[in-house]
Amino acid sequence: MTVERVAVSDRAAFLRRREHRVVRALALVGLVVLWELLTRTGWVSSLFLPSPLGVIEEFADMARSGQLAVHLGVSLKRLLLGFGVGAATGITVGVAVGFFSMTEAIVQPIIAATFPIPKIALLPLLILWLGLGEASKVAVVALGVFFPMAINTYAGVRQADPLLVRAAVAFGAGRWSVIRKVVVPSALPMVFAGLKLGAGTALLLLVAAEQIAAESGIGFLITQAGNLMETTKLMVGLTVLSLLGLLSHWGLASLERAVIPWRHT
Amino acid sequence: MRRLVPLLLVPLLASLGPGAAAAQPTVKVGVLKLTSSAPIFIGVEKGFFREFGIEPELIYFQAAAPIATALAAGQLEVGATGLTAALYNIVLGGEQLWIVADKGREWPGYPLTGIVAQRELWDSAAIRTVKDLKGHRIGVTQLGSTFHYHLGNILEKDGLTLADVKVVPLQAMPATVEALKGRQVDAILVPQPFPGATEAQGFGKILAWAGDLYPWQIAAVFYAKGFAADRARAVAFMRGYVKSARYYFDAALTQKDGRPAPGANYDEVVRITAQYTGARPEIIKLGFPFQDRSGRLLVPDIERQMKWWAANGFIKRPLPLKQIVDTSFIEEAIKTLDR
Repeated sequence: MTVERVAVSDRAAFLRRREHRVVRALALVGLVVLWELLTRTGWVSSLFLPSPLGVIEEFADMARSGQLAVHLGVSLKRLLLGFGVGAATGITVGVAVGFFSMTEAIVQPIIAATFPIPKIALLPLLILWLGLGEASKVAVVALGVFFPMAINTYAGVRQADPLLVRAAVAFGAGRWSVIRKVVVPSALPMVFAGLKLGAGTALLLLVAAEQIAAESGIGFLITQAGNLMETTKLMVGLTVLSLLGLLSHWGLASLERAVIPWRHT
Repeated sequence: MRRLVPLLLVPLLASLGPGAAAAQPTVKVGVLKLTSSAPIFIGVEKGFFREFGIEPELIYFQAAAPIATALAAGQLEVGATGLTAALYNIVLGGEQLWIVADKGREWPGYPLTGIVAQRELWDSAAIRTVKDLKGHRIGVTQLGSTFHYHLGNILEKDGLTLADVKVVPLQAMPATVEALKGRQVDAILVPQPFPGATEAQGFGKILAWAGDLYPWQIAAVFYAKGFAADRARAVAFMRGYVKSARYYFDAALTQKDGRPAPGANYDEVVRITAQYTGARPEIIKLGFPFQDRSGRLLVPDIERQMKWWAANGFIKRPLPLKQIVDTSFIEEAIKTLDR
């Protein structure tokens, strides 16, 4: 008896998603090359669209003169401070609201009412309260980070599997032990989603705050370059922002892998 | 963001520019709604430009630097506004435009830009002179603006530099005044009518008129590359402008024994300026900025400006004068008018 072999094709093959690593790299490189060519041919004036090589040169110049380090340092300080304060309070409030019904009753309506206000709109008020200095800039970043953090943490805590909580209690865990060992770890994926959201918002608000009455920082650099029609410098500022965004995303992703090893994403 | 959108559109518009401009019989003139634009307003209202076959179309802007950008992009034929670092950077960046005539100077005896301190700081004698500004926060509209330049030069006259103060850019004139009112800055530089308004409201004290401390060519008339190449129309526009400038000078700028002695058409010039700027006549009457009677440019001052901007790191290097200044239009216009 012979076994007849039938070749089957996987009809769901189109659902498989390949990585296309080469295409990914080429897309970015191609864009830059196209851009360089466009400016080289002179179709587009270099004043309105500086060439990538020009931007790299200016970047090196500014790095060498220490100008870039000053602006980047100031911005990073504001960003980290604001992000730290916003994330810490956001997580604390989120856990408290998610776990205690009394806190939820008090805080949730307040968050629901204040969350929809675009934080940029608060900037003039913050400047009035805290002055033109560092405090108002850090505060607006912190506010921007606080809301996604609080809301995500709250959702994460509420999602904690009741079965696991009951199991922990059955094994004799106390209230704090349950929060520490069950609720918070199961909320962590949501917390990290919030952190990533917050990082994007933080960058946006930082630049907005620095464009108003600052004397240094990346946002200031961009405004100044715009005021002076130094488009190459402006592009350097935008490039730095793009790198900052990529870096913060990458940093948070690595941190996530380290903190939540049981989640392979 | 608002600034980025036109920046992206500009190459597109620039490529459409020359063809569209040739079909346009009107000359687009970019101006600010300030008293210093009066000579342009007079020329439009009294028909001095039309007399020489030029149909001007006024386009209003909020700040000086965007006018230079629009000129470089071919969206305007003529600009009439302040000389900023942005303008020099545009020409350094490879776009051609020409400074062709005087359109306002900071001049002793003609109040234009005021240095205004917080009333309380004046009362407590914390700020009484330019020297006292050391270590204080000073609000201006933009970095690289005429106010920034003026502040720097005034400080240098008193042995200080820009590094001795904290310059705070507040982007717009009303915001600058608000920052003084809200005590976020200790002093500001703003043009008339704002200094008078701060004193009237009680929170400001005019320390000095900047033009008394350091006179210079603050504003000019510019030509876009394409318009300058159209020689006949470029000279025709200048004829209208010179006629207008003389009308303005004789009406508003004449002095007798160092005191203002308005000419016969003073009230008409006030009325026209009030109408085009939307300001009240009594505010317009506070002062008209000085300029040459025939609109001749203070050429050596342009060179001085570029040197100062370059020395202070706002532009990469000074340009040779003949790459940015062209007085041949106004000289030709004056010659034909005086014949």
